[in-house]
Amino acid sequence: MANGPSSSSTSTTSASNREQGREQRTGNAWLGLLPIAGGLAIAALMHFCLPGLIGQFYARIVTDIGITIVLAVSLNIVNGMTGQFSIGHAGFMTLGGYTAATITYYGSMFLWDSAGKHGGFLGSGEWLFIASCVAGGLFSALAGYIVGLPSLRLRGDYLAIVTLGFGEIVRVILQQTGKTIDSVEEFKNAGWAQLIPPPVGGAVGFDGVPKYTNLFWVYAVLTITIVVAYRLKGSSLGRAMISVREDEIAAQAMGVNISRQKVLAFVMAAFFAGVAGGLFAHERGVIISPKDAGFQRSFDYVIMTVLGGRGSITGVTLAAILLTALPEVLRDFEQYRLIVYSLLLIFMMIVRPQGLLGIHEIWNFWQRPKSSARSASQEAQA
Amino acid sequence: MSRSATTSIATPSTDALLDVDQIGISFGGLKAVQNFSLKLPRSGLFGLIGPNGAGKTTVFNLLTGVYQPDCGHIRLGSTQLGRGKPHEITAAGIARTFQNIRLFPNLTVLDNVRLAGQLRNSRGLLDTVLRTRGYHREENGLREKALNLLEIFELQDRAEELASNLSYGHQRKLEIIRALATDPQVLLLDEPAAGLNPQEKRLLAQSIRQIRDRFQVAVLLIEHDMPLVMEICERIVVLDHGVTICEGVPSEIQNDPRVIAAYLGGNLCPF
Repeated sequence: MANGPSSSSTSTTSASNREQGREQRTGNAWLGLLPIAGGLAIAALMHFCLPGLIGQFYARIVTDIGITIVLAVSLNIVNGMTGQFSIGHAGFMTLGGYTAATITYYGSMFLWDSAGKHGGFLGSGEWLFIASCVAGGLFSALAGYIVGLPSLRLRGDYLAIVTLGFGEIVRVILQQTGKTIDSVEEFKNAGWAQLIPPPVGGAVGFDGVPKYTNLFWVYAVLTITIVVAYRLKGSSLGRAMISVREDEIAAQAMGVNISRQKVLAFVMAAFFAGVAGGLFAHERGVIISPKDAGFQRSFDYVIMTVLGGRGSITGVTLAAILLTALPEVLRDFEQYRLIVYSLLLIFMMIVRPQGLLGIHEIWNFWQRPKSSARSASQEAQA
Repeated sequence: MSRSATTSIATPSTDALLDVDQIGISFGGLKAVQNFSLKLPRSGLFGLIGPNGAGKTTVFNLLTGVYQPDCGHIRLGSTQLGRGKPHEITAAGIARTFQNIRLFPNLTVLDNVRLAGQLRNSRGLLDTVLRTRGYHREENGLREKALNLLEIFELQDRAEELASNLSYGHQRKLEIIRALATDPQVLLLDEPAAGLNPQEKRLLAQSIRQIRDRFQVAVLLIEHDMPLVMEICERIVVLDHGVTICEGVPSEIQNDPRVIAAYLGGNLCPF
């Protein structure tokens, strides 16, 4: 407390200082949709141009990367921003994926007498698909709410175990489901007893799901996820979440309803994970199976958020790209892949424990070189 | 527990703003605070002193809902605060600082202050995500308000810096600014002078009075620095082993044998 509140006549220098630090963002509701529109345009461009440019194989990897980014960025809302350690993200993804797949598979049979694809780009089949993804997201969000409740009482490792348990519960339940019904007649004649619980293939996985996922939808969902995450981060709501991560007691003293923030974070993360699960289930070359809900996959996403930096959306995106592309690049050295992967992680832990970008976004590094350099040195101390 | 309800019903100015009636709490067999009562008037400046472990911070934790009192009542204006959660109590108008600084180290100075804005922010998730006009209006208002506060305390130049990069004295100051940003009626300061040099302490004493006058808040101060407490506090409550042993104006406290005994040790027993 070097000096007290200054007298009411503030000096002119500080007034001018204030002016430059203050950019008035005038709000226009339509302008707010611009990033989303831009993202959709890029997604459409990618969809039509990319496979021709780089071939189907690499286009498939780019699709994978998109889905992974959605999962990593959404997990970052819980792990990075709100500071709750969740390692059950794959559980939410698989839950959403199965929900979406059930809707498109049996929905297509019901509507069009075939479980195959229906209609072309933006055709009726794709709309059913995207609606099913949203339904998967909502169902997952409900699960997120239920898993979020213990987070009000549990901290750190204990919460991690609950979320880990959730993923395993999803896996075990899905293993108990019946064989998929693959003929339309059988489906139409099936009684309720056969349809509840939904026959989604048990331990072998849900085969025959129509493969609707394409670059456009993946990158459309990705755009929305990133815009939502980024806008959340810069808002009052996001600051309230970050304050829970920083110091729960101080956050409460500042009037933050920490229970609400934690549950909200879980619900949002689960929603996007569920949608991403829908995209995953409908991706070509993928059979969604109960083992996708296991902890192995959950850990992958946790590693991405840790590698990227807590709460840094661009950092986590970079990490997701890196960790999805790396196994493909290292495919020739199949047997050394895991060694390189773990060495990389150990290297990161030693050299940059705060993650690639720490708590910053990528543009912070050239926007404010002075202050970021200072904070980097501060991080090094910590 | 809304603020408007608190202020709409007029209370006589002679009446206490914060009325604490016989609150107490035990942890297992330890009676940390017993029968603590306090009547803090509007824009009063009271001190709460006592030896280490006397239960001063526990009183703050009871007042702010960190602990729920086992018995007794707490009233702020016309609102009963009995069993409120900490964030509800902050919303009702009691703000606090912490003995060991609890800033949000990885947020900027501005964001630390701006965080208080979400307390009375009506914008939900949809507004936030769609960035509607109302959202922008509200965020601009919050920013304005936070910068004004920082300017009053001459920290506006550090607004974009991380809170952890501030000097210790500035961090203490930021804690007070942050508490004021919640628009409190009562400000609880937990050892604000701890770790400050004599020069800084003098300025602190001055600024606590100014804060009280400028922001129209009642202040309750925990402090070990006796000259500071004696100088600025109108009344002082002395706690020892969770029990109020004395209450009065500074001159009474200084000469009270029970207080001297509590601090210096001594046998008051006449036998």
